[in-house]
Amino acid sequence: MMRGVRLAFSLLILFLTVRSTFARHIRATIIYDDVATEVANAEEQNGQIWLTPADLERATHFEIKPQGVCRGVLCFPLPKAKRQEFLIEREGKTWFDLSAFAELVNQSVAHDEALAAWYFGLRGDQRQTLSHLEAPDFTLPDMGGKLHSLSEYRGKKVLLVTWASW
Amino acid sequence: MPGWQAIYQELGTKNLEIISVAQDTNGVKDAGQWITAAHPTYAALIDEKHLVSKLYNMVNVPTGVWINELGKIARPNEVAFVDDRFKTFTGLDSAPYLAGLRDWVEKGDKSSYVMGEDQLRGKMAANDPNFMLASAEFGLGEHLYKAGHLTEAIPHFKEAQRLNPKSWNYKRQAYALSGERDYGTTFAQEVEKAGGSKVYYPAPDLPAGAGKKP
Repeated sequence: MMRGVRLAFSLLILFLTVRSTFARHIRATIIYDDVATEVANAEEQNGQIWLTPADLERATHFEIKPQGVCRGVLCFPLPKAKRQEFLIEREGKTWFDLSAFAELVNQSVAHDEALAAWYFGLRGDQRQTLSHLEAPDFTLPDMGGKLHSLSEYRGKKVLLVTWASW
Repeated sequence: MPGWQAIYQELGTKNLEIISVAQDTNGVKDAGQWITAAHPTYAALIDEKHLVSKLYNMVNVPTGVWINELGKIARPNEVAFVDDRFKTFTGLDSAPYLAGLRDWVEKGDKSSYVMGEDQLRGKMAANDPNFMLASAEFGLGEHLYKAGHLTEAIPHFKEAQRLNPKSWNYKRQAYALSGERDYGTTFAQEVEKAGGSKVYYPAPDLPAGAGKKP
């Protein structure tokens, strides 16, 4: 009896280990810059999310280039020694570890396992820093949908004030 | 909002712009009627994703920031009441804050209300990793709520509240989306826990005697 229980327990541990070691194909929702993108073919491993370069670009607008992971003039070089940790080949496809990249660019990530949703927060370069005391820029719509950016108000004093209906 | 319109009519001609930003997950649906009623001529923006609160590490509303002509912060996050509608709840008088605002509009960087760099750095919240994670959890909760998964959103809202207990935005917005019973508390209880409504909003840290005529 005890042996049976032990065996079942060992098998369970083995199953969990195997399950977490191997990448699983999943359908994932990637929320990046507060925009959600459905990705039909993603891989998940130990809670880390891997995307193909094409899906990376679709979901985040970042591209993998020889000089690093870039979006326009913004480029994050991948540490040379670690490049193979971010980019791997599996079953003839290239996969990029977006979770590891988030760590590299100092970005917090929230994950909902049941709904396979990953939310990527502000990167370090987007956040207010204490070093230059500049007011972070933003662009938001008014009720009519017209966009306004803080940076358009240079040359004026601005009282920025938040409120809410609740 | 009517209060800001009055201030804008007074100071808008003196190179002050007001940008109000609604921190409502449901955007125009919840905030719209208040904006329409106020007839603002200043910028009244909609911020469904709470981007401004995220960027500036804000924890409650109303929160005001003064930004000078060069785009630098002159006074960081502080409670910003421009009228006394909530005075019986908060115990805060709007007059000293408004006196400061007028002084700044008139004197610019020479105003004693403008903070020096060291004081600013001391006041501004550092990017605490737990707060950053709280912001991501809240953002995920908002996304799930909007995608029709309110039940699944609640644990993420709770996690945001746990990781950044200083944020009233995370509590108040979440309670507004589904009711306080999902959180086992009420806004009134939370205010009491924090020491009561008279300390709920920390008063703006205005310099003693500032703005007075010598």
